[in-house]
Amino acid sequence: MGRKMILPLLLLAAWLAPSPALALTAGEVLTKVDRNLEPESSEMYRKLINIEPDGSKKEFVLYSVRKGRDKMVALFLAPASEKGRASLRLDDNMWLYIPSVGKPIRITSLQSVVGGVFNNADILRLDYTTEYEPTKMEESGAGYLLDLKAKTAAVAYDRLKMTVDKKALVPTRVECYAASGLLIKTLYYKEIKDFGGGIVRPSVLETDSPLYKGYKSVMIYASIKKRALADEVFTLNYLPRVEELR
Amino acid sequence: MSTRLGRATVLLLCLLPGPLRAEEEFHFDAAAFEKKSLEWGGYAELKGEHSDINQDGALSRLNLYREPRSTLDRLGATLQLDGSYTRGITSFNWRVQGSAAQDDLAWNDQAELFEGYASIKAAPSTTIELGKKTFKWGKGYAWNPVGFIARPKDPNEPEEAMEGFIGAGLDLIRSFAGPLRTMALTTVALPVWQGVNEDFGERDNVNLAAKLYFLFHDTDIDLLWYGGNSRTTRYGLDFSRNLTTNLEIHGELAHTPRQPVRTLMTDNSVTTHDVADTSWLVGLRYLSERELTTIVEYYHNGDGYNTEEIDRFFNLVADGSAQYETTGATTLLDKAASLSQLYSRPQPGRDSLYLRLSQKEPFDLLYFAPGLTAIMNLDDHSWSLSPEAVYTGFTNWELRLRFSLLNGAVFSEYGEKQNSNKLELRIRYFF
Repeated sequence: MGRKMILPLLLLAAWLAPSPALALTAGEVLTKVDRNLEPESSEMYRKLINIEPDGSKKEFVLYSVRKGRDKMVALFLAPASEKGRASLRLDDNMWLYIPSVGKPIRITSLQSVVGGVFNNADILRLDYTTEYEPTKMEESGAGYLLDLKAKTAAVAYDRLKMTVDKKALVPTRVECYAASGLLIKTLYYKEIKDFGGGIVRPSVLETDSPLYKGYKSVMIYASIKKRALADEVFTLNYLPRVEELR
Repeated sequence: MSTRLGRATVLLLCLLPGPLRAEEEFHFDAAAFEKKSLEWGGYAELKGEHSDINQDGALSRLNLYREPRSTLDRLGATLQLDGSYTRGITSFNWRVQGSAAQDDLAWNDQAELFEGYASIKAAPSTTIELGKKTFKWGKGYAWNPVGFIARPKDPNEPEEAMEGFIGAGLDLIRSFAGPLRTMALTTVALPVWQGVNEDFGERDNVNLAAKLYFLFHDTDIDLLWYGGNSRTTRYGLDFSRNLTTNLEIHGELAHTPRQPVRTLMTDNSVTTHDVADTSWLVGLRYLSERELTTIVEYYHNGDGYNTEEIDRFFNLVADGSAQYETTGATTLLDKAASLSQLYSRPQPGRDSLYLRLSQKEPFDLLYFAPGLTAIMNLDDHSWSLSPEAVYTGFTNWELRLRFSLLNGAVFSEYGEKQNSNKLELRIRYFF
């Protein structure tokens, strides 16, 4: 055997071992993106900053929990004018609870409860694989370029163009389009951070929109943790009590 | 050369706003928002109002006959304190509101405990609540015919906090996979004793109310029931569903087989008779591409007065006013005043229409929301129209400017109101 066999074996091994670039289908890339962004059952704290053209800012702090592919709750902790407001998303259903109103009301994904460029669908975002089907994937340098199509008309954006970092398998840029082809907004995922517990993902999400010229919104993620949660937490009756989860 | 270029680049990067400086600009210390056992907040409000009095209107002749006037100015302040204290599975929650106002005629002040209750969360699926709490049932925005254990809502301010009732509640929730996603049962025991919920109904009774909620095929459905001797038994149903991503439909149906109604008769006597009251509401909420939210609701009030019955009340006020002017006697006006809670409440008639338009941030003006609210009495075609502008651009401040115009024929609901119009500026600071 000796040396004569080593080279062919090495070549065979190299041929059999799939390269990372070719190994993943578009669906697999999207699934990994979802899991790298957030564990299936988790809690997190986020700060949302709306920046106006003159540089003035308005900040919101949210506590949110999610479970599975279609359940999420977000609770406003600041500013005081918004404190206690809570939004629930169960698949395509969304509700908003305002303490003074005293009961949840149905809202739509395109509305924004905070003003600025982020809407409810951005704040209560489910897994990309829950709402979108990849239609095309290309490779370019260090990234994948995915074309995603909404699975139903109930999804906030009809099409997404997502650039994914090949190594980290997290998105870096997502363009969101309406069914008419109009670019609604662009999301920029930035500053990859180790949150602990094996969660390594971008800690800043920025967005701008041709519909809001000069305005920008930023979401900063902190303290993402895996957490086991009962399904009953994601119900209308529980919504006024979300604060008790913290 | 390269050093200069490097410096210039650094300078340029420092001057550039936005994403390039994200690391420096944006900082978030989540530890500052850790849960505390005592949480509190609230708002302080200052409100100024100027009203033009409808001097020919029945309600101005009834309320202002001793001091007739053409305008009425009012300055008021309100303080609301909300909070909770959590220890283990139990939390104590409260909402207190105090207000004071001086108008051209008098000084008024009051303080109320809107809510004050203990919540024991045995499990995510089971909660027990004891104390004073507001139970706002129903899907309607302006009206809630199925709000069996709530005080009547003011359709001009449907989002304002309301005073609750003292009771004991049990909340059970179950979640499922499949078309039935959630089922939840809320039961409330509501006593009426001396000093406890006396304004709810007949004394010395313990009443029960229940709401069974389903999220079925993406539709919210509630079945509601009230039983007890303080008020007569009533049954209800409501629903809400998104038809598309920007269109929601909702409705309520309430049936009271035996609802006592007090009515003024032609001889100015007052009789009480039972009616089978079926009240219902249907509404839509629509969000346009340009972020104009439209809420429209049609409300049929089964125990409301017909136009003839309402005319009798306005006739009584007209007669009372004539009696006062000619003899100085107030017998008829006193009688009308004793009935005014029934006949001058919001929407005393049978059929009403509510329309609210709210435009989010027009012309890229962040945090600015102009709106328009219209309420129409479909029986007599009188109406109120209230354009408003809300600005929330200063953190924790809310400024609202609202003008209300009321119009209607003689002996119509809005044609006989005390004001013909009102201008109101409200400033709130949240803390």
